[in-house]
Amino acid sequence: MAAVSYKPYFSAGLKEWIFTTDHKKIGIMYGVTSLLFFLIAGLSALAIRMELYQPGLQYMSEDAYNQALTVHGVLMQFWWAVGIWSSFGNYLLPLMIGARDVAFPRLNALSYWLFFAASVLALLTFLPGSQIRMMWTGYPPFSLNDNAGPVAFYALIIHLLGASSLAGAVNLVVTNLTMRAPGVTMKKMNLFLHSFLAMNVIQILGVPALAGAVTMLLMDKYFQTAFFDPARGGDPLLYQNLFWFYSHPVVYVMILPAFGVISEIIATFSRRELFGRTSMIVAIWGIAILGFMVWVHHMFTSGMPDWIRILFSYTTVLIGVPTGIKIFNWIFTLYKGSIRFTTPMLYTLSAIFMFLIGGLTGIPLGLPAFDIAVHDSHFVVAHFHYVLGMALTLAAFGGFHYWYPKFTGRMYSELWAKIALVLIMIGSNLFYFLQFIVGLEGMPRRYADYPAIDSWVRLHELQTIGAMILGAGVAIAVMNLLLSTKLGKKAEENPWQSPSLEWLVPSPPPPHNFDKTPHMPEDWDPYNYEWLEKQHKRQ
Amino acid sequence: MAQHEVHHLGEHEYSYWPLPVGLSVLLLPISFIALMVWQKPMLALVFGGVSLVLLLLGTVGWINEFFSKGHEEGLGLPAMMFFIVSEVVIFGTMFVGFYMARVSQAEVWSQWVPKGMNLTIPLILTFILWASSATIAFAEKFFEMGRNTLSALFVLLTIVLGTAFMVIHIMEWLHLWHAGFTLSSNMYGTSFYMLTGIHTSHIVVGILTMIVALYILLAGKANQHKGHTYIKAITLYWHFVDIMWLLVASSAYLIGSLA
Repeated sequence: MAAVSYKPYFSAGLKEWIFTTDHKKIGIMYGVTSLLFFLIAGLSALAIRMELYQPGLQYMSEDAYNQALTVHGVLMQFWWAVGIWSSFGNYLLPLMIGARDVAFPRLNALSYWLFFAASVLALLTFLPGSQIRMMWTGYPPFSLNDNAGPVAFYALIIHLLGASSLAGAVNLVVTNLTMRAPGVTMKKMNLFLHSFLAMNVIQILGVPALAGAVTMLLMDKYFQTAFFDPARGGDPLLYQNLFWFYSHPVVYVMILPAFGVISEIIATFSRRELFGRTSMIVAIWGIAILGFMVWVHHMFTSGMPDWIRILFSYTTVLIGVPTGIKIFNWIFTLYKGSIRFTTPMLYTLSAIFMFLIGGLTGIPLGLPAFDIAVHDSHFVVAHFHYVLGMALTLAAFGGFHYWYPKFTGRMYSELWAKIALVLIMIGSNLFYFLQFIVGLEGMPRRYADYPAIDSWVRLHELQTIGAMILGAGVAIAVMNLLLSTKLGKKAEENPWQSPSLEWLVPSPPPPHNFDKTPHMPEDWDPYNYEWLEKQHKRQ
Repeated sequence: MAQHEVHHLGEHEYSYWPLPVGLSVLLLPISFIALMVWQKPMLALVFGGVSLVLLLLGTVGWINEFFSKGHEEGLGLPAMMFFIVSEVVIFGTMFVGFYMARVSQAEVWSQWVPKGMNLTIPLILTFILWASSATIAFAEKFFEMGRNTLSALFVLLTIVLGTAFMVIHIMEWLHLWHAGFTLSSNMYGTSFYMLTGIHTSHIVVGILTMIVALYILLAGKANQHKGHTYIKAITLYWHFVDIMWLLVASSAYLIGSLA
């Protein structure tokens, strides 16, 4: 299609990578960094599981265990669960709206370099004397304690990531709102774009709250301010409130893009417009708004009047409604669709299944009575590993496989991708479902050791085995994706036959995306599959 | 879309300047860590110095390229609006800290108010900032009328007012600090210096953006669409900083010193 020949980006030299402002290259740089840190975080999780295999301390000191937990938490939350969507957003958003790049290409490159700077800082925490052990939440007064390690690393990592997310979010929101090609109206936008819009708005409103909270932490530790010192009028609860004011909405920063990816894949492989598309959009914004009204449910045991707990319990349970709407819409899209069980579709269906389990266990956690009983237990850990750990990861891998031909121009090995999925599903369910049980039996989270109760030992052994299977599955999936960039067979231009704009350009797309600004006709729609067939017939 | 032929050559898909700026921002926290955590002041100095050089190099190159290459779409104004929204939240965190303490420590608060605290200086500061809001508005108006030199004059006036604000404010801080009211004395001291300090850091950024605006106006870049976007965006930012001052001053000085 391209009139002028161009160099595909994977043959670019180092200089072309580090000075690039091309949103596609930046997207890939985000993806590679994110995946690398995902693997480091995964390895630290396996180390934690090895330690919990038997009661007592076998492989690690308590300090090393705390460091592993902190590394796992921080890297998984910020590099994988948030970072990976920067990759998808950067790569796909301009393509989906028919733009040649984002609104501020240089700012976009700077966003990546800030993310990179945070990555360097995170790797420096492995140096002796620089290890951080304050957990990913960094609660004072513990984090101000010398045992917790230098809080400067934690705070400054979050500052860098925050600056990166903020610049990226502003960039993508402005791009999405102002640079859509003619014919790509707000109404006809992909659901992927709607969820990214909501996600970035949450970032713009939420990130500064966390930045403020860790600034206070930094000031308290190194400049002796009084923010969290009750003796001088400070209050540690201030940190918890500010922290969760961002860190609850951030779970929607993580999961809304996953919903967007799921929506794209479900629609394509059911060959149907999504059921209840308007209600989907309303649900996305409902989740985004309600997300800012529930943060106190993380603090039900922090000491507060009952009426506040009841109020936030209501808003928490209310958020299940828009989430439920989305799940029902996906299921009704499948109903009477012509379903193709391709690899991305299988990953997506698994993601919905895992999200359902995680979501349903989240509802009782919104009720103070139940929450206080299982607070800080492995039950909570299992809940958020179902929703954020598994549903998000499966959706992201579904997205990797779905857009793989677009990113690389090649196809992955179907067989290995499916083997990986089977291992991931067996491993994760064995692991996390038993974590629910051991949590209900009272196993507290963040402990390196536990009493040698027979049933607990058995449950922990099985969980560790599950974790290993899960790790093997993820490793196979990642290897498959990496090796297929060289070994995979050439992909067709539009292997899934989707009329969405990113599939109407060659794969991989040329540096400028579109030869000229696309003017999309009246009857085009990203989910109008008949339009694509008509186009084919005309040709 | 006259520039489309150029896009095919891939010329617009790269820029040298984001990387040095990114690296300078990396070295800044490392310098802080070298000083505070590793306790190596020399190392901190080296990192800080390199960071500063990279930052200068990067921003100058960036600004220069901004006007010489057809990179941007001129969407600075909506971006500035979203940025200001997030700035409001940053200030919001400090306000939450201040008011939580003000309410929960109401009984002991009066003991924390220093003797030297009075409302004359904040009132003077408020008038200075109001005046600067007016001068920047004039600068924007004259610029729209095409009278760039006059516009530059008013930008210069705004810079002078902003600097005066800063100098008087720093003198006020020193005065209070010497009277024993410091960042670490109590929650009033902490939130007072944090609120006013974060606000003043915004004044510094505002002045830097206006120095660039002076260059734009005097170098004749201003009639381009991009120059126009830039002036509009920084005017908006300055108005935001001015409005924020009203909230900061009425909290940190007025509500703070009412016993």
